[in-house]
Amino acid sequence: MREIWDGLPVLAQDLMSAGALLLPLLVVGGVLLRGFRPWSLIRALMWRFRWANLLFVLLIAVSTGMGIGLIAQERGLRTGSAQAAEKFDLVVMAPGSELTMMLAAVFLQPSAVPLLDGAAYDRIANHPQVQIAAPVAFGDSHDGAPVVGTIADFVTYLSDGEIEGRIFTRSGEAVAGAAIDLQIGDRFTPAHGRGGGADAEAHDGVQIEIVGRMARSGSPWDRAILIPIETVWEVHGLANGHPFEEGDRIGPPFAPDLFPGTPAVIVHADELWANYALRSEFTEAGETMAFFPGTVLADLYRVMGDVRQAMSVMSVVTQVLVAASVLLGLFILTRLFQRQLAMLRALGAPRRFVMAVVWGYGVSLLLAGTVLGLAFGYAAALVLSRIVTERTDILVTASISWAEVTLALGFLSAMSLLSLVPALVVLTRPVVENLRQ
Amino acid sequence: MALPLKISDLEVRAGARTLLQVADLSAPAGALIGIRGPSGAGKSTFLHALSGLIEARGRLCWGEVDLIRLRPEGRTAFRAKNMGLIFQDFLLFDELSPQANAGLAGLFRVRHDRPPISARAAEALARLGVPEGRRTVGSFSGGERQRVAIARAMATDPGLLLADEPTASLDRRAADTLIDDLTSLVRASGKTLIAVSHDPHLLDRLDRILTIEDGRVTGDTGAQAA
Repeated sequence: MREIWDGLPVLAQDLMSAGALLLPLLVVGGVLLRGFRPWSLIRALMWRFRWANLLFVLLIAVSTGMGIGLIAQERGLRTGSAQAAEKFDLVVMAPGSELTMMLAAVFLQPSAVPLLDGAAYDRIANHPQVQIAAPVAFGDSHDGAPVVGTIADFVTYLSDGEIEGRIFTRSGEAVAGAAIDLQIGDRFTPAHGRGGGADAEAHDGVQIEIVGRMARSGSPWDRAILIPIETVWEVHGLANGHPFEEGDRIGPPFAPDLFPGTPAVIVHADELWANYALRSEFTEAGETMAFFPGTVLADLYRVMGDVRQAMSVMSVVTQVLVAASVLLGLFILTRLFQRQLAMLRALGAPRRFVMAVVWGYGVSLLLAGTVLGLAFGYAAALVLSRIVTERTDILVTASISWAEVTLALGFLSAMSLLSLVPALVVLTRPVVENLRQ
Repeated sequence: MALPLKISDLEVRAGARTLLQVADLSAPAGALIGIRGPSGAGKSTFLHALSGLIEARGRLCWGEVDLIRLRPEGRTAFRAKNMGLIFQDFLLFDELSPQANAGLAGLFRVRHDRPPISARAAEALARLGVPEGRRTVGSFSGGERQRVAIARAMATDPGLLLADEPTASLDRRAADTLIDDLTSLVRASGKTLIAVSHDPHLLDRLDRILTIEDGRVTGDTGAQAA
């Protein structure tokens, strides 16, 4: 049985799971409604108590939507951050916090970290299994966007070669990220530092020209300006990594004794498996340490996973509270139209028909609330995604997955069963007493 | 089909208190009977007992069927098939059209019952002069609403019509018109009508008047005839 299930396409499994979740609702509905036509009465009751009903539907929609939106958002953030880190196989740094370095090197969050010297870089760059060893230098900015020093090969690798214009070939040239508001041919002077404390005049006289623009990657690098690392060193009055006789040449190899230092080296190995060997090789006590950003993210996700679990529990608790409110509300609403229900009984309507009216009424509210909740959840995830993307430059895309649909269907199905309670309670009320009210 | 009524030793109690006691009463099929008496005398209780809406003791036979011996669902089914109920305050669905209200029973009857119910509802509405169209009954006058309620009671072609103060919510003019329409419709169709009412205009138009006081039948203008 298990093998048959595992052999089914994912969509078929999802559809069957959804069907199984809806089964109680369909069975109860089928049994109650068979042979009856209660919908015109349900519509009449809906209209009669339209404001109370609308409030109910909104209550269900908001609670369902909140749970769905938060879970979808958390998944979007996880996927977005993983995609943003995709190009960063291995990062080598001076011993320190992996998380801090990952945030600095991958997500371009400013932080002060110790530097690797020229000898360490040379050892990494000359390793036979290393294809790209990209030093990175942070610290400057333009109009709030980080100006990152690195090498041309890394820019090509980062953008998959999709560059409008060309890559930088000499100091003083730059390639802009897709979200940078500078055109090819524009010039700018970098400010020293980032954020509110940036000194715009520190590098007066320095002019950097945009010569290319990277395609959008959905990572914070879209809002970065990439320049030769030599330019960063030069504007800070440091050696540029090359002996004088090499003239204006940029990029590796660098002379170890003229290498001013780099906070991190982003390594791309020629083979995927080699990354593991490189990680252990470049993790030297007191000298360097290497880590996979993916692993650090996975650890972060584990923590986020706990948060997600907490969110899921909160979502379920909210749903239970809403379920209780809906039940209470149904009891109240059925009392509002108990004379009509008593009249139906007096006219000879079977008990099952009266139950069908009450149950159908409750399920209609629940269904409307759940569908609206899915839409609301999607809209909430969409808005939150935009906010997160704008603030972090990590492309977070909102989507409603089967997990959210399943959550909503489970709620709907469970509530449809609970809606039988007010439908049954209605039958226990004395007809004559209700007629006289 | 109208059914004769035969009651013996009927008793309705609420705990230790006796609400209604009718030792012996009978009425032929097709009779138009009024029930009068002071408020709280037991008139509505009698009507509810006749319709099987409350528990009672003794014998209460409509034709061959003793309503008291039936289980609640049996009484409901009997009511659905044989009785039409008219309430003082109409008890309509204001959001529905007159046709939808009058054909209400079609919603819970088997499929082949629906077309005749709908047709009879339309016919009754036409005979009672209820305006046609898509207007909902929420916008109707009291007289029009009670006509819709009568059409609803007639739509299942019951043999028995039980009315509880059918003119009490209407002004005099509307009440008189309704009385004309109701009595002529019932007489033309040969149905039995039992109406609880304080309205002498209505009672004057019926064949027989029962007076109920303190839970007992203290007067019966048709005792000899019955």
